[in-house]
Amino acid sequence: MLNAPPLDTAISEGPKIVPKPYHPFYPTLVGLLLGLLQTGLFFQLTFTLSSTFGTFLLVTLCWLAGSALGVLYLAKMTTGTRVFLGVALLAYAACGGLLALFPFGTVLWPLYAALILITGFYPGVFFGRMSRYFPARVLFARENNGFIGGLVLGTISFMLAGRIVLWVLPLVVAIVVMWLDRGGQNKNA
Amino acid sequence: MTTSSDAMQENLIGTPNKVSRKILLTNVQRALLSPAGIVFFGGMNLILVQWVLVREMTALLLGTELVVLLVSVAYFAGLSLGYMLAGRVKHEWLAPLGVITLVIHLTLPIWFRLLVAWLDSVHAYAVAFLILPLLTPVIISAFYSIFLPLFADNGEGQVAGLYGTELLGSGAGILLLVGFGSAGLGAVFTVYSIGLMVILLALGVRLKVIIPLAFVTWLWLLVLPGVNNWSNALWYQTLYGLPAGTTTLFTGYSPYQKVDVLQSPSGARYLYLDGLNHFGTYDGQRLNVVSGQIPASLMKPQNALVFGAGSMQMAAMIADHAGQVRTVEIDPLVVDVSTRFFLDYNRLNKLTNRSITIDDAKHFIANSAEQYDFVATDLPAAYSIQTATLYSSPFFAEIAHHLNLGGVFVANLTSEFTPDDEVSRRIAAGLLANFKNVMVVTPESVGWSFAYAGDHLPFDRAAVENALRESGEKTFIIYDTSAVRAIVADAQPITLDSMDIVLHVSWDWVKDRIEK
Repeated sequence: MLNAPPLDTAISEGPKIVPKPYHPFYPTLVGLLLGLLQTGLFFQLTFTLSSTFGTFLLVTLCWLAGSALGVLYLAKMTTGTRVFLGVALLAYAACGGLLALFPFGTVLWPLYAALILITGFYPGVFFGRMSRYFPARVLFARENNGFIGGLVLGTISFMLAGRIVLWVLPLVVAIVVMWLDRGGQNKNA
Repeated sequence: MTTSSDAMQENLIGTPNKVSRKILLTNVQRALLSPAGIVFFGGMNLILVQWVLVREMTALLLGTELVVLLVSVAYFAGLSLGYMLAGRVKHEWLAPLGVITLVIHLTLPIWFRLLVAWLDSVHAYAVAFLILPLLTPVIISAFYSIFLPLFADNGEGQVAGLYGTELLGSGAGILLLVGFGSAGLGAVFTVYSIGLMVILLALGVRLKVIIPLAFVTWLWLLVLPGVNNWSNALWYQTLYGLPAGTTTLFTGYSPYQKVDVLQSPSGARYLYLDGLNHFGTYDGQRLNVVSGQIPASLMKPQNALVFGAGSMQMAAMIADHAGQVRTVEIDPLVVDVSTRFFLDYNRLNKLTNRSITIDDAKHFIANSAEQYDFVATDLPAAYSIQTATLYSSPFFAEIAHHLNLGGVFVANLTSEFTPDDEVSRRIAAGLLANFKNVMVVTPESVGWSFAYAGDHLPFDRAAVENALRESGEKTFIIYDTSAVRAIVADAQPITLDSMDIVLHVSWDWVKDRIEK
């Protein structure tokens, strides 16, 4: 069994040990953001593209594929994590914008697939890079707790306040995440 | 960690072809039985068990948006629990935990139903809303989420590689469901069991344990259909008071919901979607008369459209008076069971002026180039956000756009239209915003209200009164447009930006069921 080192001193095991430059709530906030983004994508696509199983597959598979690419390849690049976050937000916004401009235009689904794939890069990069600052169990648990929060907050607040929350909440949380992200580029790449 | 891959030392003696085949096999075995293999199959099995769990629990707790959210939160909470336990679980516990998980998961639909049926029988159904979400994290998802952090934190793999592999496993799980999901619970559980046994092998469980376990699993999967049907019928008998001797004709999971068809000893058939009654009761059949038969008989439409399938009795009643009737249904499984088990009601084998399209109603109407004389809905109430969009003003606007002059749209107001009923008033408000005339009918036999909407209704109040009486309806209320406007008063239409109605409907439905 692994005895967890104090979080404010050192994080990972073995040669990877590095001082933790990230706020303890950082993974939770990222999880919150990811929960909001996924909820937002799902609602917007099912409302103005189609609510068939195909849309669910589109969101899920493209997000998973983007995350896999992010964690396996993109995390090794020198590009800053904030850049990936910015790109994810732009892709999310583009998705919402296109849906508003061309409602139920299923001919655009390959474009939506690409945009969701791009949005999925960020969580992959996040996990790939944060694993050197947090033990995996802490990183995944905190991110997942945040994700649950995003799922609940996104769903309930959407029902109470409408589609505006699908734009405002991710933006607000993303600003906080960017503020907490101290660089985040892959210094060892 | 010691896995069985470490113990695999193949004797690579033979012809070059045989040797290369053995090397290939050894590499495949090593990959399958490595930490990466474990997280791959873990990711796959998490998706498979989620497919079963979400639909089963949603049905048991009476499928509303709040329930779906509760079930989702419980499932994800289990992942967090597993992550947190990863630092405390010893390696030697994993194999026994895996065996326990296999037993629990393969029997889960059965004992969840028996548990909830028992709670209801002792008038403690409300406790199910506490117990099931509390049990879920511990027994459903926690086991599989232990592996990744355990391996990563113990230096048995890099987070990047392991996480990427788990994501690939999740993707594989989704693709398997696309391929095998429609084959039923047995097929999903077979794939799931294979995945978990590979994990057990990788955890070092010996073949002399795996083989008997596989045999017992196979036996269970053989008897599962019978036990599944029995427990399903028992649950419906207990929860809905269906007569003793009621049997399950069909139970299955679609990508959208759990679909159940039951038959009472007298031959009456019932359709339930996510545990909610969709067809089979007397008022349900009267609903089809008031929504379909009466307006269609009064106007004789050439081109009619029905959103939602269910038993498709409504579409058949319309077809008796129409040129062509198209049914649009999102869930192919509903169409499948309807054509297999409700032929007496939908007469699909006899009527030649019927067609069925599998599509989302919103998507269909937005992309349809056709104009219709008559549009009716046979949809669940606004228990979820997705169904609520079909009661929204933008959806009504699309329908209005596709109605011919003199065309009629029939909407179910899903409750009794009264000055203090928020849901029906808001649906009616959406109709008033898109149609010049809205006539609301409340037949006593159904207990809730329906609206006939259009810019130039081709029938008047007197004609509707006569048709209702001829159909056997003795007591009813009819509101004309001005009366509807007065009752709607300041109620606002449902829009994509005002879905609070779903919270109210969802909460009221759960509360009513608990208080019964």
